[in-house]
Amino acid sequence: MGRPAPSTVRWLILVALLVFWELFPRTGIIPELFLPSLSKTIAVLVKDWHEYASELAVTLYEVAFAMLIACGFGILTGTLVGGIALLRNLLLPVFSSLYAVPIVILYPIFTAWFGIGSESKIIFAGVYGFFPVMLSTAAGIRTIDPQLLLAARSMGANLTQQITRVIIPASIPTVLTGLRLGGALTIIGVVVSEMLTSAAGIGYLVTRYRTILDSPHVFGAIVMILLLSIAFDTLARAVERRTMVWQIAGRRQKEGEQADIAVKPATAVV
Amino acid sequence: MTASLSIVRDAPANAAIEVAGLSHIYAGSNSAVPALADIAMTVGAGRFVVIVGPSGCGKTSLLMMMAGLRHQTSGTIHIQGRPIDAPDPDRVGVVFQEASLFPWLSALDNIEFPLALRGAPRHERAARANDMLNLVGLQGFGARYPHELSGGMKQRVSIARGLVQDPPVLLMDEPFAALDEQTRMTMGHELLRIWSQTAKTVVFVTHSLTEAVYLADEVLVMSARPGRIIDRIAIPLPRPRTYEMMGTEVFGRLRDRIWQQIRKEG
Repeated sequence: MGRPAPSTVRWLILVALLVFWELFPRTGIIPELFLPSLSKTIAVLVKDWHEYASELAVTLYEVAFAMLIACGFGILTGTLVGGIALLRNLLLPVFSSLYAVPIVILYPIFTAWFGIGSESKIIFAGVYGFFPVMLSTAAGIRTIDPQLLLAARSMGANLTQQITRVIIPASIPTVLTGLRLGGALTIIGVVVSEMLTSAAGIGYLVTRYRTILDSPHVFGAIVMILLLSIAFDTLARAVERRTMVWQIAGRRQKEGEQADIAVKPATAVV
Repeated sequence: MTASLSIVRDAPANAAIEVAGLSHIYAGSNSAVPALADIAMTVGAGRFVVIVGPSGCGKTSLLMMMAGLRHQTSGTIHIQGRPIDAPDPDRVGVVFQEASLFPWLSALDNIEFPLALRGAPRHERAARANDMLNLVGLQGFGARYPHELSGGMKQRVSIARGLVQDPPVLLMDEPFAALDEQTRMTMGHELLRIWSQTAKTVVFVTHSLTEAVYLADEVLVMSARPGRIIDRIAIPLPRPRTYEMMGTEVFGRLRDRIWQQIRKEG
């Protein structure tokens, strides 16, 4: 009997965690205030599903608009910064340093400007998610192999064709990675800003139930956020996989070029 | 092929490429570096001319200027009797050192790319690209992506792409430099077969003296920077060329003569 597959082990760890989550609070090893049992959390979610669903709808609405801002402006700015040397030299160092700043310190200012409703969350989370999208778009455009553009020019591609047929397809994989990171940050941004100051959303539920020490409801909200993040990540990875097949393979081949040659002669054509 | 091996300096009526008085100076930040000096060359239609020279002598620059991808400081380049100042795929096809295939397109789509740029109808594109795929010996590999092809196969696709618009002139910039020795020999032989079937005018840049003698009607030797043409060597070996010719005394003498020229420049 060999070692179990990694995926089996992963599932076993997950199951073990869920079992402990149920057992520890029940046996009193961990007080219920710190960690309500799994069954209690689920029971709360089922009982109050209406409240959770309506608050989740608010959060989803904010996340959707924030992602539009992050992706739209991120791709636009990234394209300009990546494509134009002057802008790159001026702005890229600034954006890179800004990325390291904890932007959450700006949130109180955003609430002063845009109120405590959805607008301030959308704009804050949009700014939060903007940076990885913008930086990876710039990187994607900057790292395009100049030989590909030269080849396209030699075949008579005009500027528009160089952009649509070379620059865009060549930068899609890097941009998608940025969208996945930026999207995840957008979700964090929305939830955090809801937790700080708001009257609606899943993050608001966490804060409200925490102040009245209602742990099962807090954990119910946490489970919702977890599910939301996992769903987004799964979706984003699926999209990435579909479009990145050639790129992943290309990278692998670069490392193993010798091995590749060694395998190929069987095809008779060199 | 015309059997004439003498070098015709004054443009003959059937010249495919005429370069006259071509010089190039790189404008550096605080100095101007002369890269090419007074290049004059004529390539007759259907001829196979190879350019060799020490590294950095500007042979790739010269080729890029013939392709209309770079502009010379002074002098003229005529291709098919008309000056070239921008890429013109109807007159010139280019094959680069790295195959420069688009990794997100299949082999067939890569070959179709120049036709797609012109908006050629889909069925015409596919038919033409398939012909090219057969010409370069890759039938059945059209659906493969570049990362699924070996180095030699990638260059075959690249050659097919360079020929798909049926340009009279094919410019090749060290196309086999990245390949291993055996693949390189096979590809050279294959290129001659394709050349004899298509009757293109070929200008081929290489570092390999063996490759130069094996492929060429005429070898042009360039000097170190600033690049000048210091020797023109007609290769009187009969066609079709065979691997056995590489072992002959004539072959060795020709290669040696080129080597002596380049060594003086090294």
